[in-house]
Amino acid sequence: MYPPPPTLPRAALNAGAAASAPPAPKSSRGPMIRACLLPPAQAIPALRALLLLALVLGASLAGSLARAEESADLRAAIAALAKGSFAETEKRIAALAALGDARAVPALEALAGGDLYRREADGAVFIARSAGGGYRLTEPLSLQDVGTAGRREVKKIRVNNRLRRTIRAALGALTLSASDPARRLAAAKAILKTRDGEAVEALDQALARETDPQVAAVMQAARAAAVLASDRSAEEKSAAIDLLAARGDREAMAIVASIATAGDAPLAAQAKAAVARMERSQALWDVARNIWYGLSLGSVLLLAAIGLAITFGVMGVINMAHGEMVMLGAYTAFMVQGLFGALAPGLIDYALVVALPAAFLVTGLVGIAIERGVIRFLHARPLETLLATWGVSLILQQGVRTLFGPTNREVGSPSFMSGAFELGQLTITYNRLWILVFSLTLFAALIAAMRKTRFGLTIRAVTQNRRMAASMGIRTPLVDALTFGLGSGIAGIAGVALSQIDNVSPNLGQSYIIDSFMVVVFGGVGNLWGTLLGAMSLGIANKFLEPFAGAVLAKILVLVFLILFIQKRPRGLFALKGRAVEA
Amino acid sequence: MTRRFFTHGMTRGSWVFLALLAAAGVLVPALNLGLPAGHPLHMPTYAVTLSGKYLTYALLALALDLVWGYCGILSLGHAAFFALGGYAMGMYLMRQIGPRGVYGDPLLPDFMVFLDWQELPWYWLGFDAFPVALAMALVVPGLLAFVFGWFAFRARVGGVYLSIITQAMTYALLLAFFRNDMGFGGNNGLTDFKEILGFDLQSDATRAGLFAASALALGLAFVLCVAITSSRLGKVLVAVRDAESRTRFLGYRVEHYKLFVWTVSAMMAGLAGALYVPQVGIINPGEFAPANSIEAVIWVAIGGRGTLVGPVLGAGLVNFAKSWFTAALPELWLFALGALFIAVTLFLPKGLVGSLPRLWANATSARSKAPPDARTKAPAAAE
Amino acid sequence: MTAAVLKTTAGLALAALLATATPQGLRAEDTIKIGILHSLSGTMAISETTLKDAVLMLIEEQNRKGGVLGKKLEAVVVDPASDWPLFAEKARELIEVEKVAAVFGCWTSVSRKSVLPVFEELNGLLFYPLQYEGEESQRNVFYTGAAPNQQAIPAVEYLMQEEGVERWVLAGTDYVYPRTTNKILETYLKSKGVAAEDIMISYTPFGHSDWQTIVADIKAFGSAGKKTAVVSTINGDANVPFYKELGNAGIKAEDIPVIAFSVGEEELAGLDTGPLVGHLAAWNYFQSVDTEANAAFVETWRAFTGDGERVTNDPMEAHYLGFNMWVKAVEKAGSTEPDAVIDAIVGVTVPNLSGGYSAMMPNHHITKPVLIGEIQDDGQFETVWETPGLVVGDAWSDYLDGSRDLIADWRPPMACGNFNTATGKCGGSGS
Repeated sequence: MYPPPPTLPRAALNAGAAASAPPAPKSSRGPMIRACLLPPAQAIPALRALLLLALVLGASLAGSLARAEESADLRAAIAALAKGSFAETEKRIAALAALGDARAVPALEALAGGDLYRREADGAVFIARSAGGGYRLTEPLSLQDVGTAGRREVKKIRVNNRLRRTIRAALGALTLSASDPARRLAAAKAILKTRDGEAVEALDQALARETDPQVAAVMQAARAAAVLASDRSAEEKSAAIDLLAARGDREAMAIVASIATAGDAPLAAQAKAAVARMERSQALWDVARNIWYGLSLGSVLLLAAIGLAITFGVMGVINMAHGEMVMLGAYTAFMVQGLFGALAPGLIDYALVVALPAAFLVTGLVGIAIERGVIRFLHARPLETLLATWGVSLILQQGVRTLFGPTNREVGSPSFMSGAFELGQLTITYNRLWILVFSLTLFAALIAAMRKTRFGLTIRAVTQNRRMAASMGIRTPLVDALTFGLGSGIAGIAGVALSQIDNVSPNLGQSYIIDSFMVVVFGGVGNLWGTLLGAMSLGIANKFLEPFAGAVLAKILVLVFLILFIQKRPRGLFALKGRAVEA
Repeated sequence: MTRRFFTHGMTRGSWVFLALLAAAGVLVPALNLGLPAGHPLHMPTYAVTLSGKYLTYALLALALDLVWGYCGILSLGHAAFFALGGYAMGMYLMRQIGPRGVYGDPLLPDFMVFLDWQELPWYWLGFDAFPVALAMALVVPGLLAFVFGWFAFRARVGGVYLSIITQAMTYALLLAFFRNDMGFGGNNGLTDFKEILGFDLQSDATRAGLFAASALALGLAFVLCVAITSSRLGKVLVAVRDAESRTRFLGYRVEHYKLFVWTVSAMMAGLAGALYVPQVGIINPGEFAPANSIEAVIWVAIGGRGTLVGPVLGAGLVNFAKSWFTAALPELWLFALGALFIAVTLFLPKGLVGSLPRLWANATSARSKAPPDARTKAPAAAE
Repeated sequence: MTAAVLKTTAGLALAALLATATPQGLRAEDTIKIGILHSLSGTMAISETTLKDAVLMLIEEQNRKGGVLGKKLEAVVVDPASDWPLFAEKARELIEVEKVAAVFGCWTSVSRKSVLPVFEELNGLLFYPLQYEGEESQRNVFYTGAAPNQQAIPAVEYLMQEEGVERWVLAGTDYVYPRTTNKILETYLKSKGVAAEDIMISYTPFGHSDWQTIVADIKAFGSAGKKTAVVSTINGDANVPFYKELGNAGIKAEDIPVIAFSVGEEELAGLDTGPLVGHLAAWNYFQSVDTEANAAFVETWRAFTGDGERVTNDPMEAHYLGFNMWVKAVEKAGSTEPDAVIDAIVGVTVPNLSGGYSAMMPNHHITKPVLIGEIQDDGQFETVWETPGLVVGDAWSDYLDGSRDLIADWRPPMACGNFNTATGKCGGSGS
């Protein structure tokens, strides 16, 4: 059995020193002691409440005299983390947190991140980072570098989700008054999650000092959640419900909803009304969310289809190898990233940026080779390009499988494409946002190239009337090759972007080829704007159907809709008019 | 019409083909059943089922050729009709298992038992009778094709648009049949069949019988195709293929001709599927995959579209190559297959049957023959 | 059209047909052939190619030890190309033409279902290395992967007890394995008092790549105040975009842990696992298992593939077990005849890679430990929990109505894969 923590009286003393706070030290000692004997799950809220108080009120009062003694206690408590089962570790985390000393934060953070190690030789605990063949050790309290250790000399202290949760709660308490606003925010969020009724006063103290409005808002919400969980007056609770209702997110809704079912009559009625209000606003946000998801899916479809809009739409080649161009682009990204990883690890975030032109070049050249080697012989027979390019796609797929192996390859996300931000009730992930921006930029660039440049002019001339263009002195074979190269190159660029959200495997292209054809045909062959509109409307339609019909049925319904739509408009959304159509 | 059939339809080549098919239909079962396993001429059961499978593919290719080669409708969704026919037969075979399933439920197939279905869905009723199942194998694909074609041809959806929406159709069906809620066994499909018409599916005699049945079906379908293509109707079809607008202006109701041949073709594909399933022992949504439809198009192209023997030959050759390559060159066979497709498209634009005669004529210029007749000419590019 | 051409081409075709028909010459009698039936192309190549290499490695190792019964082993590799009927065709080819002594192969349930009748008819041996939905026991098949009771149920128990989960999302790809597993789990959870509204079930198509809606739904479902977990039976390919979305949406393992049954080291190799630390997987083996046998296995594998970073996974261990069991059974029977091997293999025990011994049970499933691992930032799993002993694979689930009364025992005199204990007859409910 774990002996009672030697630091217990100290913590209580801290709390006692803060005698101005309403809960008397005597009353807080009871739960404190019980906390150590209780199973950890129940012990933690009580502990946390106390140490919040202890920390906020007492930290400044702690005399330097006690420092040395305290360090020893702290060190012992940290060292204790290295032993025993998860359940025991959980208790020790609680004990460590109960010391109320912010110096424990680095050790706890390292433990949660899996960076806390125990030295086999003497059982000492260190923060370790992988370096060379071994680890670089840091002393967890002084944060001083204490040299390196071999791979076998230290052993990682294991954590699981439950421990991480405990640590997060403990850190929430310890970092509520940290100097870094991001950490205060994290702390406030942690308290909001735990809905601990005894945290109200600590939050009040923290709020009084808080300067950052964003952090303050979360603290307010956390305080309201805490008030609702406490035994405070009905007026205060009512105010808390209003505050949470105004916040309106799902988390707040869950808290208020729990009052609606469990609270006493007037409060419950108020909560019920608040929940109804929040549900109405959620429904609106749901629409916004579906639009955003639809645009995001549409941007992926647009990316997949945009190259095909050139090779198939403009040139009329039924290019079954289009998907493989996308795949080659993704593999180029993989290669470029590997190169950066080996040569300039510090610049890895820019690998994707460099991969874009690289992929354009690689797939563009492959495209030109295919055009020169196969497709130019089939100009008079467009349907047969289907067969030949199908053959090309088989070869490319197997080629990549032979070269890179059949398994998935990892293309990492640069830091600016990881994570998400909140826009009202919308969670917008950066990678989706960038892909949307990127696909629209690519589309705009392509339109500009086709409309404004001489190259675009010759492409249009050749595709509209090959013989006339030839008579005007345009070298049609060159234009054909370059156009196909352009379409392929753009598919390659799309591949780089798609590597951020999908598997990079030899099958990558296959999963997009059908959708791409659908988009181009839906939008109207030969019309780039049609492709844009087609992609976006198919994406949004899919996302609006998905919540009702489920993912599978939504897709089927979209396909059926597409088939019916083509009956109504046999040449897609934007049909080309005139003689070119019949050619 | 009968006279035309014999004078214009059944060329010497057609007779030779039918004779060879009949010979195979008799010889293969005979060599398999009649000779002991050690005999050098013995045909192993493995080869019998394999060739039986090729015959059903050939029937599918023939069906596709009828619409593509003769009417210019490039279907990228013919595998859907094939698979629907297969499912109809699969449902019959499933019902034949009866109480011999692993759970011993007298009525419900195994996959329904363990997914907790309480009763047989209505659309499974009647499939315990072979005639019903066989009729459904023809009617369901035919009906789907009719409805699909009715809308598409009247709306004058043509060329590549039609190809893509046929692909959308088979893709939608693929997704639908993957759904376990559909009651067709989801991804696992229908399998573990025991017997057909009371004959044990695992016995050599049944396999030989199925092979003979496939040969017969292919022969009959071939004769039907000859009859269609050599009739006046067939000539109109070719006219539609080569100049649709002009044919319309001449007063022909183009969509009716198209709809007829499209529906017939779908029913032939359904029959092929129905014969395919008992020979391979499984039907699952994978058969709806758009890639399968494209492969069927490739068989026709390689054999020679617009000829009736070509697709049969193409289906046989490509699938034989596939069977052989996947065992002989498991790591490289896709290179070989891909190269084959490219080479045929580039160097034999009219397919084997369309191109070889000319090569043959060049080689033996002494026996100079008349130029290939209109039927072997590739359709104009305007599609 | 010319009859002459026709004759030559038809002749060619017939010759080709005969070529498949003629026996493959005299078989070399000094080797024992092993069939490998894993897709090397098509959608499943991504997972199955590894298993082909694993069996090749095992065969090479065994040959280095002197082969089996004094004969060298020879691998026969075919490519069923992720095409299910082709699996049946290739299985027939392996047994009938190549006369292999045993086949190691299949990944998806449908491929197994497709070859079952072939193995039954031709009396071959199939070692199937994947975790699967159960509800099957066939005389000629040995199931070396996990049955639901060796993976799904312990995983859910862990979440209930260790993480205190009360609300469940069962997310899967819409095919038989997730359907059956979720059915079993639903029954199990309800038997433990979980209310119906605390279970959310969602199915997605194969290769689903747009997870925004579902991840948002999970987030919403999980914010109701009760501790929530996701039990994922999402199939291979769709996992990478799923986890990418999960990571970006900021769903942390501490808040809503995801436990997966189809995500192994191989799948994680295509992902940055940094944002996924703490999400879980349940298997019977992890590469990180710290035993001598496993260290040797990983080292041999890396040497064999020539890739110092190559990972191992659970299905590979299943093949390792199946292969060693087959070798032992053949040596015990003194013959590679399927009937003799089938009789000899029940009860055969071989060391597994996690430090115990796995045994072939009479129902042709094997005993395995169940490990729960958390994803680490290096793409490996760290075992956070394991069953105290080995778990016997259960062919027929206790949590499904149809199969509750069924048991499988292939030893004489019962020799039945679906014996009904209620009616006392072989063959399901045997009405």
